[in-house]
Amino acid sequence: MRGVFSQWLARACQADERIIVLTGDHGYSLFDDVRRECPEQYLNAGVAEQNLIGVAAGLAKGGFRPIAYGLGAFIPIRVLEQIKLDICYENLPVLLIGDGAGVVYSTLGTSHQCAEDIAALRALPNISILSPADDHEMSACLNEALHTTGPCYLRIGKADRGTVHEQNVQLQGGRLLSVRTGAGPLVWIATGSMVQAALTMAQQWPNSDIWSAPVIKPLDIDHVVAICRSHRAVIVLEEHSIYGGLGSAIAEIASEHAPTWVCRIGIRDRFSEKCGSYSYLLAEHGLDTPGITAQVHAFLKRMNCRPAVAA
Amino acid sequence: MHPFDPRRLRQTVLRMAFAGKTAHIACAFSLIEILAVLYRSHLRLGKQPGMAWRDYLVLSKGHGVMAQYACHYELGWISDADIEAYCSDGTRLKGLSDGHVPGLEVSSGSLGHGLSIAVGLALAAKRRRSEQRCIAIVGDGEMNEGPIWEAILFAAHHELGNLVIIVDENGHQAMGPTGEIMRLGKLADKFSAFGCESREVDGHDEHALDMAIGELLSSPSPCPRALVARTIKGHGISFMENDNRWHYTRLTPQTFAAAMVELDRQGKQVAA
Repeated sequence: MRGVFSQWLARACQADERIIVLTGDHGYSLFDDVRRECPEQYLNAGVAEQNLIGVAAGLAKGGFRPIAYGLGAFIPIRVLEQIKLDICYENLPVLLIGDGAGVVYSTLGTSHQCAEDIAALRALPNISILSPADDHEMSACLNEALHTTGPCYLRIGKADRGTVHEQNVQLQGGRLLSVRTGAGPLVWIATGSMVQAALTMAQQWPNSDIWSAPVIKPLDIDHVVAICRSHRAVIVLEEHSIYGGLGSAIAEIASEHAPTWVCRIGIRDRFSEKCGSYSYLLAEHGLDTPGITAQVHAFLKRMNCRPAVAA
Repeated sequence: MHPFDPRRLRQTVLRMAFAGKTAHIACAFSLIEILAVLYRSHLRLGKQPGMAWRDYLVLSKGHGVMAQYACHYELGWISDADIEAYCSDGTRLKGLSDGHVPGLEVSSGSLGHGLSIAVGLALAAKRRRSEQRCIAIVGDGEMNEGPIWEAILFAAHHELGNLVIIVDENGHQAMGPTGEIMRLGKLADKFSAFGCESREVDGHDEHALDMAIGELLSSPSPCPRALVARTIKGHGISFMENDNRWHYTRLTPQTFAAAMVELDRQGKQVAA
């Protein structure tokens, strides 16, 4: 996904001289292409993210199309208020990139991990939130982001887990993308790195559907309702807090429009206590195959043991 | 009629603050002469707000917005009805600077935002090879905020010679004197150390302000410019000057009348 991003960035800059890429002194080789092809459109704003977002807002007001890159822990989290006031309130066409979201920086600890970005931004008006799962979704998301007239946040999580789609995909508003179809009562809705996890999990429930959510905001409510209505249980997987992320968004729609059992699987209101490999961190948070399996079994047990609804 | 007469601007601010029962009168009063000189002699704005080629005036110190509204009243951009209905239900002129209001560039009030946006606007103008200038007004209390210093470093590094930062150095912030809360030292020296062409001026002396701003705008230096304007919080009304309660106190019918009478008396003295 990072390769797709890097090449797209250089092409986009070549095609549109209004694009200016700003980084908060992060990204390293990600910007090799753009620095080589369009050096005038690349700007390292230093380790000063709050100013970076204000400058991006000023550039957008002045007719440019800034792309502000940082690690998710810094953009959007460190600069949330600048995003709210300087960009979202003014509805400016700024593309924010939060890289390494989730627990990608598994050895670096809490400062570089980010499980709250979707929750924080969902509450801000005007901004859209994209979260691609593979190269195909990344291309589609970047093309969508380029044509957005307002603020947009692109979340990049673990980026080297292979593809989940066999061919190019196209976004259709906030509709979910089908990854696997089945006729069973269970459906998985996942985003980013967790779409791969859903594919693994579906081996245990061979009849289940899988949908990927490259667009988290705005979600196509009718589409989510249709999915809820045609299944008995929805399991949402995300490398993000269970509070305020995709699971919350699906549960909100389900509860208001199509009451359905929804199981939110994500980071459960805790920080990472220990460090280690990425797979170790996923296991620590119950997001590896055994952890997810246990949570799904517990959920299905709750569903089946529920008391009969009083007449 | 003298355009942007500071006495009349202060009367407009008082009318708004009384009608809207709003605070931050003293924050607006320290800014009056700075804005009067800018609007009268330096800003290229056109007849309507928002002309594409305009100079940018960024009020980073959003608490002083009533002073800017008073200038917009002089320009005919806001009406008597707007003044009388200030902050009433369903109106658009808020108690802090708001970018949705025509003629105001940024939403401020949360401090330390506007200067970075001004830097972005100046950078955009420079990249477009436009003649537009960007003037940002910050408060000295606002300079407690970290992003202010990030923005100054950035502006100097990128040689934004089209940016003028004016500090309304009234020596006070919300809860007291800046020297007691967070010493700022000599700001002009700090700006110079950060790579700006800087100078100081009496922020209530219109002639001195006019000269200083004119010189800074015409300087050939590639550096961003900084003008530290020494001002008095609440300037123009004897019982408000340097009394920080007027950061947050609302006018009563008595204090409103007393302040208006004092400005009338100043006008008569000038006329005589």
